[in-house]
Amino acid sequence: MNNHDSLIANLSRNLAPVPPPPNINKLAMLWFCLSAFFVVVLIHLMGPVRPGAFLQLVEKPRFLLESLLGLAAILWVCQSAFRGAIPAALTSRFYAFGIMLMILWLAQYLTGLVSPALEPSMLGERDHCFLETVIYSLPLILSGLLLVRRLYPLRPIRTAMSLSLAAGMLPALYMQLACMYEPSHILTHHILPGLLMVPVGATIAMFWRPHRDMPNGN
Amino acid sequence: MTRGSDEQRWSRLMMNAQAGNESDYRLLLTELTAVIYNFLRSRFGDQHFIEDCVQESLIAIHQARHTYDPQRNFRPWLFAIVRHKAIDTLRNQNRRKKVVDNYHDELHVLSQAGRQSEAESELSQGDILVSLSPQHREALILTKFIGYSIAEAAEKLCISESAVKVRIHRAIHKLQLLLEADEQ
Repeated sequence: MNNHDSLIANLSRNLAPVPPPPNINKLAMLWFCLSAFFVVVLIHLMGPVRPGAFLQLVEKPRFLLESLLGLAAILWVCQSAFRGAIPAALTSRFYAFGIMLMILWLAQYLTGLVSPALEPSMLGERDHCFLETVIYSLPLILSGLLLVRRLYPLRPIRTAMSLSLAAGMLPALYMQLACMYEPSHILTHHILPGLLMVPVGATIAMFWRPHRDMPNGN
Repeated sequence: MTRGSDEQRWSRLMMNAQAGNESDYRLLLTELTAVIYNFLRSRFGDQHFIEDCVQESLIAIHQARHTYDPQRNFRPWLFAIVRHKAIDTLRNQNRRKKVVDNYHDELHVLSQAGRQSEAESELSQGDILVSLSPQHREALILTKFIGYSIAEAAEKLCISESAVKVRIHRAIHKLQLLLEADEQ
């Protein structure tokens, strides 16, 4: 036990006070709301949204349901990512439910190939929707990683992957309103770049691991 | 001391530690050392890597202490870290290899079979390892506890090196699941 005693003595010497832990759910919501605001503003700044898209949300219940399911899935995955940065805050059931919601949402577009929620049309087509989705996701991933790495993610890569999935899917979801509605276009130009952000986020996290030095300088 | 009173006391000690109270923090870590040691010993038996794992866990607790929320229970927070460190230490375990090498170079005391049975008798004390399939357990014992290289273990088990790697990977994954399912 001598090794342990000296380690304990080192760890407790000049112990610096630490700030109180953040409310992880509120932190996740804050990141989600700011990210959503950022994405919506940028998309509106970079080009007009599809004419009549908001009216379609009201008039076409299936389109509304599809969009709400996407919103719920992204919010849930975002919560999972932030909870993953606090030991024991994320249960495997909570995590699995988020992934299930995400799969269910994406399955809507696969079903849409046969039976779309809206009449497919090229109205509102944006020239660079693929690139826009990728570019708008990156600051979200970086800001999210900046927040979670200050905590203590036990599985930093998995946390980064969840965060990147949420970050990638936020612009992908809004593109359903901003860009043309056609399920194969949605899958290849909105969803695919959103999914591609998952390995991107994992790679960033791999090279930008939390710097776990001793807070009290030991 | 009951589990509930431990929970409350550790939570209070950690709150004081978060405020910078050195003596409470020292007391907390001292108490947790014994708890972590017993937790690991009851699951893995009297294995060599447990000492490392206890130290790694204490360091991780120190680094993560700002994430403990006094409104949540202390035990789940603690054991999430300990379980993670146990798997992490096991995955990166190679110190035993040096022990075996020393035997080879200096003493030639133990035969290979003797060392295996020594580890297996230690193993019988760890309830979680018994839950592994014999194939996975064998691969894990040879490489992580006795200290054979992948090539040596493959030769001993008469399988390919990649098969040994797969078995180790699956064994560790299974242990991870078992530990996560383990209620504390």
